[in-house]
Amino acid sequence: MLFAAADLSEQELALQAEVRSFLARELPRGTFAPGLGMAAPRDPAFSAKLGRRGWLGMALPERYGGHDRSAVDRFVVSEELLRWGAPVGYHWVADRQSGPVINRFGSEEQKQRFLPAICRGELSFAIGMSEPEAGSDLASVRTRAARVEGGWVVNGTKIWTSRAHESDWFVVLCRTGDASEDRRAGLSQLIVDLRSDGLTIAPIQVLSGHREFNEVVLEDVFVPDALVLGEIGDGWAQNTSELAYERGGPERWLSTYLVVEELVRSRPELVASERARLMVGEAVARWWALRRLSLSVARMIDRGQAPAAQSALVKELGTRFEQDVLSSVLELVALEPLRDSSSLFERLLFEAVLSAPSFTIRGGTNEILRSVAAKGLSAL
Amino acid sequence: MSDWLVIDGARRLLADTCTFAAVQAAEADGWCSIVWDPMEAAGYASLSELALADALAVLTVAGEHAAPVPLAEAALAGWLLQESLPGSVSVVCAGDLRLDAGKLNGSAVCVPWGHAVERVVAVVDEQAVVVTVASAARVERHVNLAGEPRDTLVFEQTEPALVRPVACDLHQRGALTRAALMAGALTAMARLTVAYARQRRQFGRPIAAFQAVQQHLVSIAQDAALVGAAAEGAARVAGAFEIAAAKALASRAALTATRAAHQVHGAMGMTQEYRLHHLSRRLWAWRAEYGDEHHWAQQLGRAATTAGPDSLYPAITGGSTAI
Repeated sequence: MLFAAADLSEQELALQAEVRSFLARELPRGTFAPGLGMAAPRDPAFSAKLGRRGWLGMALPERYGGHDRSAVDRFVVSEELLRWGAPVGYHWVADRQSGPVINRFGSEEQKQRFLPAICRGELSFAIGMSEPEAGSDLASVRTRAARVEGGWVVNGTKIWTSRAHESDWFVVLCRTGDASEDRRAGLSQLIVDLRSDGLTIAPIQVLSGHREFNEVVLEDVFVPDALVLGEIGDGWAQNTSELAYERGGPERWLSTYLVVEELVRSRPELVASERARLMVGEAVARWWALRRLSLSVARMIDRGQAPAAQSALVKELGTRFEQDVLSSVLELVALEPLRDSSSLFERLLFEAVLSAPSFTIRGGTNEILRSVAAKGLSAL
Repeated sequence: MSDWLVIDGARRLLADTCTFAAVQAAEADGWCSIVWDPMEAAGYASLSELALADALAVLTVAGEHAAPVPLAEAALAGWLLQESLPGSVSVVCAGDLRLDAGKLNGSAVCVPWGHAVERVVAVVDEQAVVVTVASAARVERHVNLAGEPRDTLVFEQTEPALVRPVACDLHQRGALTRAALMAGALTAMARLTVAYARQRRQFGRPIAAFQAVQQHLVSIAQDAALVGAAAEGAARVAGAFEIAAAKALASRAALTATRAAHQVHGAMGMTQEYRLHHLSRRLWAWRAEYGDEHHWAQQLGRAATTAGPDSLYPAITGGSTAI
């Protein structure tokens, strides 16, 4: 499988330096509670600040409030935010996938309505894919939209919907026609207001105790024709392209980075040991090389390619590595982390242990990703 | 000749000469004229005169073909001396050589093709010392895991042919050559294993159709991609950070990828008659040469932790420009 070389240009390095100095100024270490990668807290005011800097919707067209920049530019900004533990939760899904998918398939009216607000960091999106009977097998979604005068009436249940209770909209994959022989036929995407009549959001407590997951039940929710995304019946292809934005980026290998940085900061004596040096050295080597692979995926997107197999390969490798890093830190420190520890390192370790199983599940399980990557191996 | 032509030329030349039979015969004979002579005639013994990244790209091609010739040694000798020596040459990376009043004494061990080359270069007291193999008091032949010669040369009051200041760090440069070779071997191994899994049928279908087998194929491809990206990055910026990272990852992958590739190949992979062992045995041998995964990860970890927490991410993005 081909991965092209991926060094940053002078302009991209200048952008990286700009983001670093912005973060050091706006969110100095010790003045905020950093999060683990894309699970970091939501902070609409911070998202709005990023919007004003031109760091949201970077690859979207200027006429919709975007900045006509590249996927690599977006990569450079998001990796710095993630590794800093910055509160990216409010804008994350909108910036990464909802904006790009609306730009690609949406109507002129939809683009004007949603994209400028996404670029200003004023709209948050959730993901409406999974259902109780449709996890990895998305073609078996049962949420159904029936044709009515002026639009569609939607019934069904979405599950594992992260942050639905604090988001504005979600893009719902649903059935608008029968599956026929092709299970992927008859699917469509609708842009649904999370405050619609008939829509109820119930929390699902996650094992960490955080309010994160939700079950979203849609009962006769009316969605006007104007909010059909792309073409009726093209939902599978559109959704697949949305997934491509979800995979292969730096959020797939940085979730436990801060645990290691804080280990180095808070345990200088331990870190001077041969074992710790070995562990840190192995991790640093892997971050450096994984980052090059991940950047190479962003470069392919900028060249107009669709690196589905490459992004699946990187996500599978990166998320396993996120868990491996955590295991090796745990083996090194020999301590039982406490939730309210006065040490940031211990608090991050606590969060990481309780969220790590999700790394290799969210955005496509590793088992599915291996199948996707295996299909690309013919190009070897 | 443009650089791309040099790399592509090596690819064509090795495709023609470095056949399965040639690699097999090299192991029995301890030398491979069929591959070496045309490479030398085409100028590949002077790899050190190319841009570093191009020389390493040629080594990656050599690794893909499991080329049983001292191409990396020729490049290393050239870098150490800042000039290419004519004829065949190897490099001493271990032993207890010393200079006593200008005369060379002691043993050089694990010298690649030591018995077969004309000259060897050793680093003694910060100097690059060139001696002819004919001037050695004794030559003992040994082979490494790949069946390639790794000989012992004993010198007694030998007059060096040439003494120069050392022009590069042998340990780092050596690790860089091994990372480049290993990136090539891993790519070839990934390709070979996919092809085998497609062609081998069991239970009425190609074994590549089984998910359990696909998982092995993907993990080999991941190792090959990761090491490829690392070796390529280290070839562009041959700093201490990049070399350490590339060799640490390559040596680690030598264990994981060969294990998966052999599992997919079953008993066929254990035979002399099938090509997998040309690649897997070289990966096992190169893994340890010029520092294994622990050695280089320790080096990298020491540098990263000494630089401190605020330099950790800048190091991951900037490598040796940051730490």
